[in-house]
Amino acid sequence: MSDYDFDRVNVLLAEDSPFIRSLLVNCLKVLGVGNVYAVEHGGDAIHFLQRVKNEPMKIGVQNIDIVISNWDMHPIDGMMFLRWVRRHKDSPDRFVPFMLITSYTEPERIIQAREMGVTDMLAKPFTIKHIGEKLASIIERPRQFVHTSSFFGPDRRRRKIDYKGPERRVLTDKSEGVEIIRG
Amino acid sequence: MDKNKKVIVRFYRFKNRLKEKTAGLSPGNAGISLDALEKAEQALSKMAEDYPDWVSSLIVKLQEQHGRCVDTPEKRHEFFEEINHIAHDMKGQGGTFGYPLITSFADSLYGFTIKKPGDISDNQVELVKSHVDAMRAVIRGRVSGDGGDMGKKLAQSLNEAIEKYSAED
Repeated sequence: MSDYDFDRVNVLLAEDSPFIRSLLVNCLKVLGVGNVYAVEHGGDAIHFLQRVKNEPMKIGVQNIDIVISNWDMHPIDGMMFLRWVRRHKDSPDRFVPFMLITSYTEPERIIQAREMGVTDMLAKPFTIKHIGEKLASIIERPRQFVHTSSFFGPDRRRRKIDYKGPERRVLTDKSEGVEIIRG
Repeated sequence: MDKNKKVIVRFYRFKNRLKEKTAGLSPGNAGISLDALEKAEQALSKMAEDYPDWVSSLIVKLQEQHGRCVDTPEKRHEFFEEINHIAHDMKGQGGTFGYPLITSFADSLYGFTIKKPGDISDNQVELVKSHVDAMRAVIRGRVSGDGGDMGKKLAQSLNEAIEKYSAED
């Protein structure tokens, strides 16, 4: 097995603790990530992404491949940032993989993040192994995006279950009202 | 699809560009090797050595804010906000670096310095000091893990302080 080549990968990291921020930057660098753009909170992150969209040449960043953000930050937290990325018209890429780092691991918090369209969560305290596994999962197992009247984000059904019973899902790819967009 | 029919759901299925970008010359066969993880783990433990220094610098900041609360009572809300912010900064990662006691003390400090209406009493200010003292003892004694007997003693005396000062409020 050869290592992933993260050299051309651009990661945007939003983390308010200077210590954790430099820790994460170091971890990503050691794993070989070519470019890590670190900012202090969700507001700065939004500002950065606006610049990626509006003046990519000026800041020398054409696109962001993965966003990693802390949840609990001031004044703009990770959830507000995630909402902006997924729903705002100024967002440069509403489909970008978005990983939330959090010490909130209560089920209702996880559900809240999932409903907002998070790609993956990294629980604190984390290890390098966790970060590596999450990155590999983002690369190896991307999910289709689903857009309904009440949801926009990566498909919330992530497990492939070998289901033998009768098909009871109402909609299939061919159903009326289902539109498939490939790209 | 017929334009007049209502779309209930759109599925977006894209090519895996990130994989194309990262798999390099051996698509389908790339991963993160144990070797790379090992190196990253070493970088992390090197940073962990700096953790006590980093926490110490934050403890000094907390101490300064506590001093201000004593000297300038009318501005306590402002100082508590700063204390709350520092506590939040500390509570996140203590566990990763082997100092779960710092996380739990910082968590407790964070909890009672969250903005509330009304005056901040001398007891509450005193409670900040109890937390700062407990954290300083953890770092000075390098009390890692649950700290054994020493850890229990620290946690217990902090809890007693919390009871004492909250009861009097």
